[in-house]
Amino acid sequence: MDRLQIERIGGLAGFGGPHLKSRGELALSDLSPADRQAVEDLFSDPRKAVPAHPGEADAFRYRITRQTAAGAQTIEVPGNAVPAALRDSVRDVLE
Amino acid sequence: MPCMCFVVPRDVLTRLAQDRELSAELRKGMFATAQISHEIRELRSQAARLTSVAMAHAGALVELAPAPAVTVYDCKHTQTTPGTPVPNPGSSSDPTAKRTFNETTSVAQFYKDVFNRNSIDNHGMTMMSSIHYGSKFNNALWNGSQMIYGDGDGSIFVDFTNGNDVIGHELTHGVTQHSLQLNYSDEAGGLNESISDCFGSMFRQWEAKQDVKTADWLIGHDIMGPTAKARGFICLRDMADPAAKHCLAPQPTQYSQITPGMDPHYSSGPPNLAFYTACKALGGKSWEKIGQVWYQSLTAFGPTPDMTMKPFADRTRQVAQTLYSTTPAVAAAVDQGWKQVGL
Repeated sequence: MDRLQIERIGGLAGFGGPHLKSRGELALSDLSPADRQAVEDLFSDPRKAVPAHPGEADAFRYRITRQTAAGAQTIEVPGNAVPAALRDSVRDVLE
Repeated sequence: MPCMCFVVPRDVLTRLAQDRELSAELRKGMFATAQISHEIRELRSQAARLTSVAMAHAGALVELAPAPAVTVYDCKHTQTTPGTPVPNPGSSSDPTAKRTFNETTSVAQFYKDVFNRNSIDNHGMTMMSSIHYGSKFNNALWNGSQMIYGDGDGSIFVDFTNGNDVIGHELTHGVTQHSLQLNYSDEAGGLNESISDCFGSMFRQWEAKQDVKTADWLIGHDIMGPTAKARGFICLRDMADPAAKHCLAPQPTQYSQITPGMDPHYSSGPPNLAFYTACKALGGKSWEKIGQVWYQSLTAFGPTPDMTMKPFADRTRQVAQTLYSTTPAVAAAVDQGWKQVGL
C-alpha cells in the first residue's frame, strides 16, 4: 500500500509505446512530508494539475499508480506538477 | 487492475457538495474542487478567446522585427530555464550552441522563403532556445514560448539538436500555437504532432535540396543512440511507413486504428502517411505544392483548437483545388493521400 509506481510517457519520442519505456517505483514513506502532500493533492484532483504553459507540446506526462483498499488508483498528470523525487525515479529503457 | 477515474463533471461535484449524507469535510472538498475546476476552465476559455481576438486583428499588429532574432541559452544541465545567455552562439565553441543557432536561423529562413512567414507568430517573434537542459534528458519540447533541448543519455538517444527535423518539428509547434491553435489531445493532438512532423521533414528536405524520391521521410534519424541502433531502430517515426519495425515508436497507418486518448505521437501516423502519399503521388519537392496546401490549411482559417482529422482532410482538399485550380493533379494527390489512410 506504500508503493508508488511511476511511468513517464509522451515527449517527442512517444515514451510509453511498445519499445520505449520509462518507469520507476518508490515508497511513499521515503518521500518528504511536502512531497507526500503534493502526491496526495494530485490524487485528490488531478484535473488541477495543468501544463505550466498553454500551447506546450512534446512535454512529458507522468502516470502514477498507488494501491488503496479500494484497488489501484491511477492518475495521469503533466510533468511540471510532479515532485522532482518522482520525476527522478524513472529510468529510460528499450523493450 | 482496476483504475479509478477522477474526471467528474461539475454538476456531479456540485450535487455531492450539497449531499448532506456526506461528511462536512468531504462536502467542503467537493465544493472547493468544483469551484477551482470552474475557474480553471474559465481561465482557459478566456486565454483562448484572447488569442483569437489578437489573431483576428493580427494584420494591424506591428512587426517586432523584419526577421526574427535567434537566441540560445545554456541550462548547464539544470532544469532551470531559460538558463544563461550564450554570447554569439553562431561562433560558439560549444557545438550544440552553434548548431542550435544555425539550424534555428535556417528554420526561420525556410518559413520566410517558402511560406513568406516571419517567424513563429508571423510578426518577427524572437526564436529562443535552451540547450543542455537537465541531465541526460531524453527529450526536446516546445514549452509554449521557446524550444528546450536535452543532450540525450548517450545510449538510447544522443543530443536532440543533432536532428534538424527535430528543430523544425519543435518550432512548428509554435507556428501551430499561433495559427490553428490545436489542442494537444485526441485527434487534434494527433494533427498537431503530424503538422510538426510534416514541416520538420519538409525543412530537412529543403536544407538537403531533396525531392520526394530522395528524401528519407524519417523523423529523428539523427538523434538515435548506439543502443537503439544496435536494436535495429533507425528513427522515431517513418512517415512513409509508420508501422515499420525500424521505428522506435511505430504508429497506426489507418484512421480507424486511432483510439480515444491515444498519445498524439501515435495518432499522428495516419495524417503523416497521408502527407507522404500526397507528396509521392505528385512528385517534385514536398514544400513546393503539397507543403503549400498544408501551410494554408494550417494558417489561413483562424483557430480551431478541437479540429478533428476529417475536417482537416477536407480543408486540404478544398485548399488544393483553390490554390491550384489549373493543376488538378495537386488536389488528386491530396485526395489520394487521405484515401490511403481511410479518410
